[in-house]
Amino acid sequence: MWKIGQLEIDTSDIGQSDLPDFCRKPILVLGIGNLLFGDDGFGCAVVDYLESHYQIPEAICLLDAGTGVRKLLFTLCLSPARPRRLLILDAIDSGRTSGEIFEIDPAEIPPVKLDDFSMHQLPTSNLLRELQETCGVEVRVLACQTGPLPEEISQGLSKAVSDAVPRAADRVVREYFPRVLSSRVRSIFAVPCGDIGGFV
Amino acid sequence: MAKTLVIQPVTRIEGHAKVTIQLNDAGNVDTARVNVIELRGFEKFCLGRPVEDLPRITPRICGVCPWSHHLASAKACDAVFGVEPPPAGKKLRELCNSIAYMEEHILHFYFLAGADFLLGPDADYSIRNVIGVLQAAPDIARKVVKVRHLCARMLETIAGKSIHPQAAVPGGFSKPLSAAERDELRKQADETLDLAKFSIAFAKENVFPKYLDVVKSLGVITTGFIGTVKENGALNLYDGKLRLMAPNGSYQDFPYDRYTEFISEHIESWSYLKFPYAKQWGEGFSMDVDNPKGVYRANTLARINVCDFIDTPLAQAELVEFRAKFGRPAQLTLLYHWARLIELLYNAENTIRLLDDPEITSTETRVKCTPRAARGVGVTEAPRGTLIHDYTTDADGLITNVNLIVGTTHNNAPINMSVTQAAKSLIHDGKYDQGVLNTVEMSIRAYDPCFSCATHRLDGKLSVKLDIFDVEGKLVGSLAN
Repeated sequence: MWKIGQLEIDTSDIGQSDLPDFCRKPILVLGIGNLLFGDDGFGCAVVDYLESHYQIPEAICLLDAGTGVRKLLFTLCLSPARPRRLLILDAIDSGRTSGEIFEIDPAEIPPVKLDDFSMHQLPTSNLLRELQETCGVEVRVLACQTGPLPEEISQGLSKAVSDAVPRAADRVVREYFPRVLSSRVRSIFAVPCGDIGGFV
Repeated sequence: MAKTLVIQPVTRIEGHAKVTIQLNDAGNVDTARVNVIELRGFEKFCLGRPVEDLPRITPRICGVCPWSHHLASAKACDAVFGVEPPPAGKKLRELCNSIAYMEEHILHFYFLAGADFLLGPDADYSIRNVIGVLQAAPDIARKVVKVRHLCARMLETIAGKSIHPQAAVPGGFSKPLSAAERDELRKQADETLDLAKFSIAFAKENVFPKYLDVVKSLGVITTGFIGTVKENGALNLYDGKLRLMAPNGSYQDFPYDRYTEFISEHIESWSYLKFPYAKQWGEGFSMDVDNPKGVYRANTLARINVCDFIDTPLAQAELVEFRAKFGRPAQLTLLYHWARLIELLYNAENTIRLLDDPEITSTETRVKCTPRAARGVGVTEAPRGTLIHDYTTDADGLITNVNLIVGTTHNNAPINMSVTQAAKSLIHDGKYDQGVLNTVEMSIRAYDPCFSCATHRLDGKLSVKLDIFDVEGKLVGSLAN
């Protein structure tokens, strides 16, 4: 049964194999932003760091969603299966110190209308609220305060934001990857337990 | 007192997707303008990069149309290197294109445009959205959701990932398709065809007849059209030649790399985005709704107009019926939605055709490439219009020049004209309300435009508001959602 708000729809003919990975795993971590626009690429950089420094547990779908997050969130909103927890990694300009990492609850973001001319225009914040309030997904946003963003394409993070990447990755591991240790530590201690990550 | 109405989604970058309507002293519409943002600095960013980087970089420009940029870029690289991908490489690219199209067209018809038609353009925003559509038609919603998910799954199977693809490479496709994968995809493709057939039948019975008077009046303009066709004139969304059709239905065909001989770009002081127009027609450029010059449209309706026929049977039958009703070329702007459903059907049939082709599982999917000094133009039909990637490299294969024309850019002038026409027909004697706002939006939504391929915004500071200024620039009123 598929529930969205008060609406229930029978989805017994939709199998797990019909769904993309990001719908099926219990924990979804998305790095979002445009890595062609300076610090806006923070979220993608954290995903890249996690992939290269940690073994990702099988229960977690870790994705660099880049500028494609709206379509992905839209698909999640409509999916008969959804993750239990969703973590968004993103860069935000909210007047804090560059490189500061902080958490946002989508429930605190006021809902707004945006001209829905096109999929390019669907507001990410509204989709996150939808997932949290009507789809029962625990949604958190782990944000990093950006420096000034470029008006034109310019790849590369500022120093303050670049320094924040490992700190953000460490926080993700502590709060969402409870059984994973870094590959460096793994090689010292034990035999890896393969698909599920972590140690035996 | 003359007034300016502004419909303005507010973002970090000023001028993003702003609609400005200027009223004259009688309270009737004088002009309407749609400002969109252009992707600035891309050429400078690319200079000196290896050209083979671009099929990886360009999907990042647009998270909604990544496959279109990815494939146009790969094709431009093929042309720069002077290579022809093997048949399996081309077919795998085209297969991904067709599946990505289905995902897009389903989403647009059911969840963007669908809210207007299933719930009515005057329905409150709180229900004129995805949830409203689902509540109004839960059985349809179930079918639609399943097939959209299937399309994402199919792209994962073929290309390894459905977001920001990297599987198309200069010279072909990086990953062959196994027989087992093909068999799984083939079953899934049948479901996409079922939904495509259902969609157009449902729309013809329950949607379009109900709104035919709106279709015949809203945003109606007279323009030429541009799209891709095969050598024999058949519709093709991945490869072929370009056809530029004049408003009277006459046309000229040309290969991709000669596009600058047929299209030029006009600049307006109030817009970041340029206005492509058909310089080949020799009439200059004007967006006067009653007497346009040089203006042509891209996207679904344009492609349906320029092709001579569709080489898949069910879509061809729909095209014949469409032309019997609306002629060729059809000009009514809201027919973009009908044309979108014909394309959905074509793409479903094409997906099955490609999967049934024995060559699709060949392991020869790419050829070697050697850098050289050259220019290459790669074109695909993005869902939103003809997408042109034009690269020039030095002898080491490093970029020396890049030009992109994205789909929506071709429609910049027509979008402005349609908004002007819609605003003029709806606003009189200074009277306007929220319903006007929604209806002007409908005329833009038909084009399914790209208004931002740059950054997104998470913090919710996005809103639609209508600001009313007097002739001295003083804010005298506001409407907001």
